[in-house]
Amino acid sequence: MSIVPKETIEVIAQSIGISNLSPDVSLALAPDVEYRLREITQEAIKCMRHSKRTVLTADDVDSALNLRNIEPIYGFASGDPLKFKRAIGHKDLFYLDDREVDFKEVIDTPLPKAPLDTAVVTHWLAIEGVQPAIPENPPIEAIVAPADGKKTDHGKDDSLPIDLKLPIKHVLSRELQMYFDKIGELILGRAETPLFKDALLSLAKDSGLHPLVPYFSYFIADEVSRNLNNLPILFALMRVVKSLLSNPHIHIEPYLHQMMPSIITCLVAKRVGHQISDNHWAIRDFAAKIVASICRRYGHVYHNLQSRLTKTLIHAFLDPSKALTQHYGAIQGLSALGPSVVRLLILPNLETYMQLLDPEMQLDKQKNELKRKEAWRVYGSLLLAAGSCLYDCLRLFPGLLSPPDILPWKTNKKLALTNLPNNKRKASSRLTAHQPPSKKLAVDPAGTNSQFPSTDGPATSSSSGSNPNHHHSHNSSNNNSSSTGNITNTNVNINNVTGGGAHGQRVAVSNVLRQAWKEDMDAAHLLSSLHGLFGEGIFSFIQPAEMHCFI
Amino acid sequence: MEEEVEKAVFAYLRKRGFRLTEIALQEEQSRLSADASLSRSESDAAKYYDGYGKLRSWAYNSLDSYRHELLRVLYPVFIHCFMDLVAQGHMQEARTFFQTFREDHEMMHLRDLQKLEGILSPSHLEEMELARLWRQNKVKIRLCQYSYELLVQYLHKTQSLAMLGVINEHINFEVYPGQPASISDDSEAVSLIGTSQDLAREINQKELHWGLLEDSVEERMEKALSESDKTEVDGNKEADTEDNNKKKTDGNKHGTAVNNKKKKDKVVGATGKTIRSETSMVSVPPRVKSELTLPQFPPEVEQSILEDLRNRVQLGSLALPSVSFYTFLNTHNGLNCSTISHDGSLVAGGFSDSSVKIWDMAKIGQPGRASNSQGENGSMQGMHSLASDEAKRPYSLLQGHSGPVYSVSFSPFADFLLSSSSDNTIRLWSTRLNANLVSYKGHNFPVWDAQFSPMGHYFATASHDRTARLWSMERIQPLRVMAGHLSDVDCVQWHPNCNYIATGSSDKTVRLWDVQTGNCARLFIGHRSMVVSLAISPDGRFMASGDEDGTIMLWDLSTGRSVSPIIGHNSCVWTLAFSCEGTLLASGSADCMVKLWDVTSSMKALKTDDSKSGPASRLRLLKALPTKSTPVYTLRFSRRNLLFAAGALSAGS
Repeated sequence: MSIVPKETIEVIAQSIGISNLSPDVSLALAPDVEYRLREITQEAIKCMRHSKRTVLTADDVDSALNLRNIEPIYGFASGDPLKFKRAIGHKDLFYLDDREVDFKEVIDTPLPKAPLDTAVVTHWLAIEGVQPAIPENPPIEAIVAPADGKKTDHGKDDSLPIDLKLPIKHVLSRELQMYFDKIGELILGRAETPLFKDALLSLAKDSGLHPLVPYFSYFIADEVSRNLNNLPILFALMRVVKSLLSNPHIHIEPYLHQMMPSIITCLVAKRVGHQISDNHWAIRDFAAKIVASICRRYGHVYHNLQSRLTKTLIHAFLDPSKALTQHYGAIQGLSALGPSVVRLLILPNLETYMQLLDPEMQLDKQKNELKRKEAWRVYGSLLLAAGSCLYDCLRLFPGLLSPPDILPWKTNKKLALTNLPNNKRKASSRLTAHQPPSKKLAVDPAGTNSQFPSTDGPATSSSSGSNPNHHHSHNSSNNNSSSTGNITNTNVNINNVTGGGAHGQRVAVSNVLRQAWKEDMDAAHLLSSLHGLFGEGIFSFIQPAEMHCFI
Repeated sequence: MEEEVEKAVFAYLRKRGFRLTEIALQEEQSRLSADASLSRSESDAAKYYDGYGKLRSWAYNSLDSYRHELLRVLYPVFIHCFMDLVAQGHMQEARTFFQTFREDHEMMHLRDLQKLEGILSPSHLEEMELARLWRQNKVKIRLCQYSYELLVQYLHKTQSLAMLGVINEHINFEVYPGQPASISDDSEAVSLIGTSQDLAREINQKELHWGLLEDSVEERMEKALSESDKTEVDGNKEADTEDNNKKKTDGNKHGTAVNNKKKKDKVVGATGKTIRSETSMVSVPPRVKSELTLPQFPPEVEQSILEDLRNRVQLGSLALPSVSFYTFLNTHNGLNCSTISHDGSLVAGGFSDSSVKIWDMAKIGQPGRASNSQGENGSMQGMHSLASDEAKRPYSLLQGHSGPVYSVSFSPFADFLLSSSSDNTIRLWSTRLNANLVSYKGHNFPVWDAQFSPMGHYFATASHDRTARLWSMERIQPLRVMAGHLSDVDCVQWHPNCNYIATGSSDKTVRLWDVQTGNCARLFIGHRSMVVSLAISPDGRFMASGDEDGTIMLWDLSTGRSVSPIIGHNSCVWTLAFSCEGTLLASGSADCMVKLWDVTSSMKALKTDDSKSGPASRLRLLKALPTKSTPVYTLRFSRRNLLFAAGALSAGS
């Protein structure tokens, strides 16, 4: 009947020394016990409300007992709400997790730190009804474009309508100044420390940093131009840019124009860091990613953002007088902007560019090993760009390569003969196959060099005009080697372009390319032409399932 | 009739000498009657159960437009059925009855149910306040004519005598002609108070002088403004020069820039005035004489008030205030209450460790002091000697109470501080000397709230002993004792004209008391749980009250009616404050929000709706300002309409 069972009464009675309590008595007591419990709880809740709390504590129960002139229960006082644990096997039985304490341990442990003293701090919860985005306020979902003049009204409580908008003296709070100095110090000195990581996190997450953005953008521009030779600092700066961009509370658009030049510098500068010892390729890649993310995010707001960027990059890419490192950066930047940019801007120029790159990559023509390495790098990035473009095409039109009715027709075809020894080709294809498509081809330049000591340009020199091909048929190409006439036939079959024999192949290829750009969805053509330029390296970009189809 | 037959039968049997038959008949009779009495008590319980169950399903199945009226009847019937069952000793049945039907009423009356649930024996009925109230008083329910007829018809048709009995015994119906009222305004439909509803109505019909004090600073200010208006009409130039003169007397050192500012100021003042004069066409607050002898402000104080009034920002639904938030850090769950002085320079907190602490924000604001230094060598502090610690502390510590401090209140010019505590005393502290001046003893139980009057000198207190008391600073005995609430008086607030004080109580009512007579002048019924905060508009006409569940109600003091209540917050509304012109209401709650409400629109509705109590408009939410896990304990509009808020950062989140 009562929620207090009579057994409880009996147990309590025994605990205070009454062993022979008659069941009638306990039965009569049980309801009254429940009533008293409720009464005390009600008073305790009253005390809790007057302490402006919403969680009942042991102190409240003590106060309630005091109100009723009952001795409080000692030993449970604690500032925090008690932590209850559920008894195993019972649905609503809880107990206090009260561990035994060893006196010796208590004595041995050093005194805990004195708790911090109560303090009062002030901040603006709202200014004329608008909540400022400062760390003291809860984060707002999105920042509305900051209305001018709203933030500068600090400290005036008699807000008169402002008629004149005078140039406002921007006062940066001491805390923000310290923050800025600290971040700057970290960037320039201790970018490797874990503290820097925390700083980046803070830059990416905290609200209220908005007043610092102009300072940061200036700082970044300044330091980039000054520290072009110091790769770690450049890296740190780029990471700061990335953090700032990802901070949802910062309205960064007005400062983009200040930041972009620095990032592009990192991307296409002639010399970044020490050419030999530093891995400047990585920062170019990183900068390319940042640039691409900026274009994705703000491209729709500033329509000329991407066009200006691509213009800069294509300019760097197509200028033969520029260094190969700059070409590399430009290619990376363009390819990060997406496959369609690659298709529109890189692929049409691929052919001519390869002619330029070709001699640089060959041992006999370029004696400088460093230059040759760079050339291979550029080659790798081109391959990656073209490949990912191809991959994208295939993804959009998977049917292009797989239709089974075309398959027999294709396998029947005669294949182009390469004037390379077949084993070399195999080696190169193995190498590229080892590289995951997302990696650059020539990550290990030394290895590549050892692979191609006598290669006279494996990719460009490979006679093109071959069909959208597969390893199997290619590797067995010396078995079914055929005349050039066959090649032209196949070319006609596939591309409707008449190849001018072995010598006219280049012309044929450029024709092929032109055709491909016109009907830019025609991935089959694309593949064939790319294969012409890159050899089998391009196959690693075809999805495995489709490759199976071919084999 | 039956008895006569019986008698005749017995007479006949005796006459004929059928002795055995007579005995057999008697035996059989007695057995039957015993059975009947037994079965009656058994069936009694079942009758309540069945009867209520049927009534309930009937009410729920009634016509849509009358249903909500008929449903009102269920709750009192439910409570009385339960209590009757308990009174008759059917404990088990009472329990099952309660548990079966309690769900229906949980939404509206959860807190009452929780209390009544504990009743387990007839003696509890006698002991418990709430139960006694229920049994001794009749509930009044307003029904429209048709609903009433429906109910009567139903009761007659079904012959459920138990229900009829309960309804007859405990419910008074007030039948009104016409259509049933809409659902929204049934707030006062079922409520129970110690005095009968009629008495409450009677109380609320007393005359109330809600106007502002005559000859107050504001009034003088307005007069001065209207005079300057006249001079302005005379000639703008003259006014300007006059203005300039005034400025010079103000001790102005800035020159023309300030001159401009002043002009603008003036323009603002003028527009404000026009607005005011427009509204005053509708209703200018009447002026009343004060019933208490009030202290005079010293001239320099008056000067500063005038200055503030001149610089006041006009707030409205379009011009929202700036809010400055004082956050208490490292309170370790110990902060019970806080208060902010009128100019925001002093902040005081009352703690559960019996201490009161006052922070001077002007000093904290100085660079290189207090908060900074404390943060850095917080760990060092323990090693300092007590004396240096005293000097280092950024606040002044007031020790004297011997129990948790439940409220603190600054005098109008922050030279005194009141604190009330669970040790049954109220203490007066001087903020200049940082010392205790007086300890007022009079309450017999913890004092929940203490508030200085708007003019200072007097203060009012509210206590667990169910009384509110009026004190003056120089007497250690209370001047008046306001008794009448049926449970704890939880909060107290002064009317701006100092002639009334309002109290909110755990009995879910708000009362307004006349300070001169100590009588109850108004009784406001409508809250569904303990009233924890009160505020009265500066023009003295409206009062806002907030309760434990987050409901905010707005009352018209003169009529005793309310704008329909709104669930403003998810948790207790700890504090309410009107802006200085009374256009905005700010509320602060345990759900870590400060909300701003538009009062003007709802007031208009109240004014126009004077004749009928139709569906009044609700308070309109203008802005919700969330804090960073800081429950809002105190709100205060400065005289210039800057809103101060205070709260303790709750740890762990």
